[in-house]
Amino acid sequence: MRVPSIPAADFLPLVPAIILLVGACVLLMTEVFLRSPSRGYQAPLSLFFTGLAGAVSLSSAFEPARPVFQGFAAQDPFSSAVTLVVCVALGLAVLTSSGFLRSRNAERGEFYALMLFAASGMSLLAMSTELITLFINIEVLSVGTYALTSYLRRGTRPAEAGFKYFILGAFSSAILLYGAALLYGATGSTKLSEMAVVLPAALAAQPALVYAGALLVAGGFAFKVAAVPFHMWTPDVYEGAPTPVTALMSAGVKAAAFAAMIRVFLVLGKGMDPSVPLALFSGLAYLTMIVGNLLALPQRNVKRMLAYSSIGHAGYLLVGVAALFVTAEAPAGDGFRFFGATPLLAPGLSEVAARADALKGLLFYLLAYTVTTVGSFGVLAALERSEDEPKGTAWDLDRFAGLAQRRPGWAFAMAVFMLSLGGVPPTVGFMGKLLIFRSAVDTGLVGLAVVGVLTSAAAIYYYLRVVVAMYMRPAPEDERIPVTLSWGTELALALSALAVVVLGILPGTVTDWLQQASTLWLGQ
Amino acid sequence: MNAEVVLFYAFAVLALLSAGMVIASRSPINSALSLVATFFFLAGTYVLLLAHTIAVLQVLVYAGAIMVLFLFVIMLLNLTETEGERAKVTFGRVAGALAAVSLFALLALVVMGVKGAPTAMATAELARFGTLAALGQTLYTEWLLPFEAVSLLLLVAIVGAVVVAKARI
Amino acid sequence: MVPTSNYLLLAAALFCMGMLGVLVRRNALVVFMCVELMLNASNLTFLAFARHRGDMTGHISAFFVIAVAAAEAAIGLAIVIAVFRSRGTLNVDDIRTMRH
Repeated sequence: MRVPSIPAADFLPLVPAIILLVGACVLLMTEVFLRSPSRGYQAPLSLFFTGLAGAVSLSSAFEPARPVFQGFAAQDPFSSAVTLVVCVALGLAVLTSSGFLRSRNAERGEFYALMLFAASGMSLLAMSTELITLFINIEVLSVGTYALTSYLRRGTRPAEAGFKYFILGAFSSAILLYGAALLYGATGSTKLSEMAVVLPAALAAQPALVYAGALLVAGGFAFKVAAVPFHMWTPDVYEGAPTPVTALMSAGVKAAAFAAMIRVFLVLGKGMDPSVPLALFSGLAYLTMIVGNLLALPQRNVKRMLAYSSIGHAGYLLVGVAALFVTAEAPAGDGFRFFGATPLLAPGLSEVAARADALKGLLFYLLAYTVTTVGSFGVLAALERSEDEPKGTAWDLDRFAGLAQRRPGWAFAMAVFMLSLGGVPPTVGFMGKLLIFRSAVDTGLVGLAVVGVLTSAAAIYYYLRVVVAMYMRPAPEDERIPVTLSWGTELALALSALAVVVLGILPGTVTDWLQQASTLWLGQ
Repeated sequence: MNAEVVLFYAFAVLALLSAGMVIASRSPINSALSLVATFFFLAGTYVLLLAHTIAVLQVLVYAGAIMVLFLFVIMLLNLTETEGERAKVTFGRVAGALAAVSLFALLALVVMGVKGAPTAMATAELARFGTLAALGQTLYTEWLLPFEAVSLLLLVAIVGAVVVAKARI
Repeated sequence: MVPTSNYLLLAAALFCMGMLGVLVRRNALVVFMCVELMLNASNLTFLAFARHRGDMTGHISAFFVIAVAAAEAAIGLAIVIAVFRSRGTLNVDDIRTMRH
């Protein structure tokens, strides 16, 4: 039997994930060899490993794409960019965690270790190019976040949120796996590269099997990215989880799941009639944008509002995903017709250029959403008092009343984040939306762009409500300000507010970089 | 009618019956034991598919280790009867049931389209197919990355389970 | 010879029964058992196709799925214990009371 040899260079792309993994093990060991009860060094230690992993993925961002481990994973600019987004999310979440946990007397090495484990799963997921590897890495990040969700023992909420997340996560993984099994049956392989080769023949022989498999896989992913109608778990889980964990879930898990979904469907979409994934993702995008934003409107609980808003933002990202599947010419034959007419690329735009634009928009939006949402959850984490959590009033809009007088810095940061989530210039959220909607218009998906703009305009109402509460309403008399001032939280808020403004005004460097990376990945 | 056909239908009917018991019985213990039975009958069909190694693993890991864990939790929590298992008929439940039934109709149509009998294999190939040697060789060479990923998964699961099951943090 | 489609039909039936159980049952542990049923249905599909094609990739996939199921069982049962400890019930309807 031929024994394939794996060159040492194949391990290089794994280095960021390995660094995170080593960091997680070191943090676990700090608990074993703990000499004193002070654990203040754990957050900086996690931060060190996160920064190292981020730096390594940044340094390999412009290496040409190549398959590693015989097609089980790929080293490419896309995976590096996603790993970088994950590291940003993880770093900011770790910074907010330290103060949050210390004030609850719950700072432990395991918490940071699980965060790093989950992040290494996300990084591995972003580079998986084989369905079983992908499934296992989804489980690594999910199992880590299940445990983090029910980490605190305060009242009944964390355990319930963890349970809900676990059951729906396991359910969606099973759906995804069954879809993968059907795709394996149709193509005879679970590697995306081999599937791409045999897919046309498989489609000719057994179209139903391929489409059923692809739809089930898409359904599994739709659960993971919280797209409507698979979003039911999101508000309860986001509300019940410790706030820094919610931040990591809404940014990191979403980025990694989107990355895996894009990777799988770029391959499947090449083989099949591209209007099928186009119709699928456009439909999901319409539903997710409209329902997510509508459900956020009446929320007075800011944490729940942010959960629904994260559903809405998944909708905008799905617009970008849909734009990846528009072709230059109408597919031959009686393919899928989409609302009467097949959207086509704007004249003079090549398919690769359009896809690279859409991908650039997606990656930029992921980065923009990450810094904004982790920052806003950071403000929530700083404001909430542990004694309010069981009652569920810890995140009420009233808690923000008069914040501008009590904590002008926090109020300003929160206002910046809210404007960015609403897509108001000159913030990074505006730039992200601009890039996504522009590539939707360029690819002829005008309907999606119009609905996107309209729902963003409606969303400004509930984001501004928080700003109004902070700046225009008087603080309640008996209000106690949380006393725990933590350098981590302050630093995280300052950094993310700075990133939101700077990237909003001068996005040039980052967008050029992402453009280069996307073209490099798709152009071959 | 040869032995394979008889065995397949016997295993299939028994697996479906015991799976029905899992979702229909009122006590979690009965559900768990029915699930063990389902796993055993499925292991039987795995043998018919020449997946000997997976069949053994199914019995050892699934029917053995995982189900013991389930039963242990049931005993630990002393769940003899489910509290008022008279499920309220809600919109979500009816919609869920309808979704599952219609998904089955669709999937049945899809998989009935898979034509033909299994590939005929030469004797030498047949002797190796599904054996531990063949599985292990591929697993530790070509499938190195997923293998390492699974070891990471098990580590995360252990740490996570210890953290979650702790009484106080 | 039993045609492959019969194995696949059995798997599809088990998958949908598991799904039905997840969507209608109230006991948290039973819901979890139904997820295990769905994973087994996927395994049967993998193995049936592996036999159909004479290719062992399906066996390796099934092997990994069993390992993943073990990991899920560990964390899932830990969460079930945590829920029971904090609420004293495993009834999903009671658990879904998180409202604003």
